[in-house]
Amino acid sequence: MERDQILKKLQEIVGERNVLWKDVDLAVFEYDAGLDKEIPGFVVFTRTAEEVAQVVKFLHREGISYVARGSGTNLSGGTIPLNRGVVIELSRMNRILEIDLPNERAVIEPGVYNLTLQNALAPLGYYYAPDPASQKVSTLGGNFGENAGGPHCLKYGVTSNHILGAEVVWPNGEKVWIGGKAVDPPGPDLLGLLVGSEGTLGIATKILVRILRSPERVLTMLAIFKNLEDAGQTVSDIISEGIIPATLEIMDHMMIRAVEESMHAGYPLDAEAVLIIELDGLSDGMEEQAQRILEICQKNGVVSTRRAKDAAERADLWAGRRGAFGAVARLAPSYLVCDGTVPRTKLPAALSAVKKVGQKYNLAVGNVFHAGDGNLHPLILFDDRNKEEMERVHRAGMEILKICAELGGTISGEHGIGTEKLKGMPLVFRDSDLEMMQNLKTAIDPKGVCNPGKVIPRA
Amino acid sequence: MTPHMDFPSSLPGDAGSLTPGVWGLQSLGVQVKQAQKPTGEKEARDILAQAFQGRQTVFPCGGGTSLSAGVLPQSIDLALDTTGMDKVLAFDPLNLNLEVSAGMTLDQINEFLAGQGKGFFLPLDPPWSNRATIGGTYAANSSGPMRLRYGTLRDLVLGVRGIDSRGREIGFGGKTVKNVSGYDFTKFLIGSAGSLCLVTSVVIRVYPLPDASSLCDLVFETREELEKFLAALRSSVLLPSAVVVTDLAGGPGVSDTAGIRFRVMIGFEGHGLAVERQNKDLLKLAGEFGGLGDARTGRDTMIQGIRSAVDPVRSWGDPLFLRISVPIVQGPRIFVALRRLLHDHGLLGKMALCAPNGVMFLYAEGVQEKEAEDLMRDLRDLIPAGSGYVTPILAQRSLLQGWGARVEPSLHQLAFQPIKERLDPTGVFPPIL
Repeated sequence: MERDQILKKLQEIVGERNVLWKDVDLAVFEYDAGLDKEIPGFVVFTRTAEEVAQVVKFLHREGISYVARGSGTNLSGGTIPLNRGVVIELSRMNRILEIDLPNERAVIEPGVYNLTLQNALAPLGYYYAPDPASQKVSTLGGNFGENAGGPHCLKYGVTSNHILGAEVVWPNGEKVWIGGKAVDPPGPDLLGLLVGSEGTLGIATKILVRILRSPERVLTMLAIFKNLEDAGQTVSDIISEGIIPATLEIMDHMMIRAVEESMHAGYPLDAEAVLIIELDGLSDGMEEQAQRILEICQKNGVVSTRRAKDAAERADLWAGRRGAFGAVARLAPSYLVCDGTVPRTKLPAALSAVKKVGQKYNLAVGNVFHAGDGNLHPLILFDDRNKEEMERVHRAGMEILKICAELGGTISGEHGIGTEKLKGMPLVFRDSDLEMMQNLKTAIDPKGVCNPGKVIPRA
Repeated sequence: MTPHMDFPSSLPGDAGSLTPGVWGLQSLGVQVKQAQKPTGEKEARDILAQAFQGRQTVFPCGGGTSLSAGVLPQSIDLALDTTGMDKVLAFDPLNLNLEVSAGMTLDQINEFLAGQGKGFFLPLDPPWSNRATIGGTYAANSSGPMRLRYGTLRDLVLGVRGIDSRGREIGFGGKTVKNVSGYDFTKFLIGSAGSLCLVTSVVIRVYPLPDASSLCDLVFETREELEKFLAALRSSVLLPSAVVVTDLAGGPGVSDTAGIRFRVMIGFEGHGLAVERQNKDLLKLAGEFGGLGDARTGRDTMIQGIRSAVDPVRSWGDPLFLRISVPIVQGPRIFVALRRLLHDHGLLGKMALCAPNGVMFLYAEGVQEKEAEDLMRDLRDLIPAGSGYVTPILAQRSLLQGWGARVEPSLHQLAFQPIKERLDPTGVFPPIL
């Protein structure tokens, strides 16, 4: 089909003003928060599930590839349209359709920001547990596609643990409901598969989530260490003691400096590492747990600790953590964030190995990560105008993934494979595993039009 | 030497010599031509590779506690009994995970964990956890009352290893809590009832034994009081690990329209101070809605109390065992309606409601086909498609035949069937739902 005919048909479905087709407009959608770039063929703004279904049906019939996109905060190139595919932009589908407190459920459209849902729930005494650092701008549709995590996932699980249903536009354009307000639908856990499938198996147009009551008390502490490895060991010791805090987050000196210069969160500039520890739940017994944690910190050579005195101080500590990725813009024009995960006890070894990789490739590497989950986020800083440096960055990134795999972990904890980590997949999967994934993809999307070229490396 | 059991399909054989899974298959009306019980992954792989080459059908089974969760074929060439694969493969107390072979029972796992260091546990408590294997629990997506605090298989399983329909080794997930590398087969295979591969081992999250545990045992006289109490409990800050409702026979002065009273068992775990405070607050809260009862401390007390509520009284003899899930607030109403249905159909049975999850277990025994059919028809009226799920756990094959589609037909056509055809092209494993 000719380009102008495709344009005409898309405009018929969503309206003339809701299709971008000029190169200058399309350029805005050629990238996400990863490093790869590809200009889309068109960008289509949809407002309803029916429009999404019609667009997909048309593209499927014509064999034109497409990718759904929310805010584009994806960190692995998952929302980059390959082969000039069509971007189906969902950010205008941004209504909270229902908050059902008695059943502890909410139904939202995919373009709702994670934080918008949290803000709607908070006054009601409820919250939605997954809280990616990008929650101010990342959409719940994107969180669904990537199985997003966040600091509080240590205790409460990642996105897939909180999704109970979804309306999904299948790769051929049919709309189906999976799951619902009742739990345990019969058959294989299709929803568990779709969450985190990076939009390669369908597009969620309504999402039904579990919501939780807000805890009675939250206690946030900051522990300052003289080196990163001690902070990592502390995390491992806390969990193995049987204490599961709501969060355990670590930031190293480089990140502390960037955050403090950017937003003055109150982190000590002379610290080599800070560990944010948050307990939540009933107030009874919490002081005793906090005391035990302090003892574990002391055993691991903590320099000092302090508690957030009030909600404002707590918010500041979190603002620093959540703003960390953005803050590194002060240090370098670009960064590659790795997302490997290791068993918690391997954190000190992983951090030490990451440091050596930075030295080997002569690259600055900052660390800010979900320590309780063993989910590393080394940020390799560079200037993308320097091609030679960029090449070193890619090699360093792959080496870090390899380290995580060798330590018994995996190559992505929460950011997805996208295009960026395709080469790393054989580090953690056999041929038969990858073939099974490819067979599944082909079964659901035989024409290969739904966000192709992601997740599974070419055989 | 692999135990190898051959028996003619026309004869049930000596049930006493068979394992519960194979015996169960036959008793539910499946003709089993042969049974094998591998003791390790390699042996299982060889069996499946041969089955693939010989175009044989294979039905994986464990303790036989949830055989009807998937499709029961009329006959199978080979029942592959996983209970010989019953080893702990790796225990990592510092990272709180355990890798076990599929044939270990949940009680065996918990016995092992309790004896490690300061003591650990796996919070999976479906009915019959003394016989339910971890592989079968995974394949049937089974859970129990403690899902309230700890979640289900989706929340607990970190990795899975298995053998595909060609006899090749496969593995997904791993030992980390977070993992988004590739398609999440670790989750997709939950509830697949052996239709896509043989699961040989899983990696699961485990927890340290809590400092303190308690069981609050309450009685409510009417459904209205029960509903008000449960709503108040849900909106309180209390954090029970399990809440399970059973019914008690009515007595003089009982006002509930179904003529029953309600026993509510609530488990708390955690720091001693938190448990103590919750016991006190809960009894006070229950009293506000007419609930009377007491609180007892101790882990065994809590576990046995919760378990006694969901475990069927017996485990043999024309069973009809269903799991029914509805939106949370509808739980008590449907629970009472189910009790009335059982009564109307003249069936004896046991029921339990995991109230904060909207999940019920209904167990009846000595159920004849006609009674079961009538009951199922009424159940479909009570819980229409789209409002909840009625999932057979144990039921005669003949009854399942007339059940109708258990999965939305569009989902079957768009997803399950094409996936089945791709992953198991020769139909080694049983059909997919």
